[in-house]
Amino acid sequence: MLLCPSTEICFKELTRDVRGYFNGLLGMAKTKEVPGSSTRDQTALAQPWNVVVHNDPVNLMVYVTMVFRRVFGFSREKAETHMLEVHQKGRSIVWSGARERAELYVQQLHSHLLLATVERDGT
Amino acid sequence: MEFSRMSGNRLGLREIPPLLAGLMRQIPGPFDQDCKAVEERLFPRPSHSPGEEALREDWKAHVEPDLHALFLSARQVVEADLRGFREEEGGFALDFPAGHAESWLNALNQARLSLAAQHHLDEADLSQPGPMAILNERDLAKFQIHFYAALQQWLVEILDLA
Repeated sequence: MLLCPSTEICFKELTRDVRGYFNGLLGMAKTKEVPGSSTRDQTALAQPWNVVVHNDPVNLMVYVTMVFRRVFGFSREKAETHMLEVHQKGRSIVWSGARERAELYVQQLHSHLLLATVERDGT
Repeated sequence: MEFSRMSGNRLGLREIPPLLAGLMRQIPGPFDQDCKAVEERLFPRPSHSPGEEALREDWKAHVEPDLHALFLSARQVVEADLRGFREEEGGFALDFPAGHAESWLNALNQARLSLAAQHHLDEADLSQPGPMAILNERDLAKFQIHFYAALQQWLVEILDLA
């Protein structure tokens, strides 16, 4: 909740968390229905998901840095490092972890009008 | 043009030339929301990966309506604040509650992104300083984007200090 810029976002997070929780349960139930699921499938599920921020010519550097600090709680230095990576290399992986959480972060970044996507690690 | 933090937790702008006052009144729109390029920029896809159609559909159904509401709310806050424009000696003046800075930042960003998408302005166009002369709508859009950037920069500094 500390990371939320507004109550509205917190509420959205909460609803999506709840949805994520039920999706998670459904996913677990599905896994149980398919006996002998392969190790490869399990490895794929365990693979982290990346939150990727893409360069755009309009958003200001100071604004992008501010958004990174707010959404991810980064220090100024870390936020600036990621911002410069976006600017110079065209993209930066700003967070990795569980898919549901990654989607929440992308939603928050979109609410600040940053170009962000979620992608599976290694794709 | 002068920026200031005023008593009563308000932010103020003074000595705004008429041209810039006119451009400020355009911050909440109307921008061409029906333009496909604008729509795609304000509501980008959450994934570029193949095989993520379900996520993209889910996003359209559940996330985009929330983003629409959030963006509209920011524009409405700014629109209401802009009704406080007044003419003074030396230009126009405006002040608004510091608590509205988030809405202003968001509305300014919507405006800048919409203008860039609508006029197909890329990195090369925008890396130049503002146009020396405004000869057409595209030049005006560039000028507007640079002016709104200056307002954003000021607001980010204010929020950074808070």
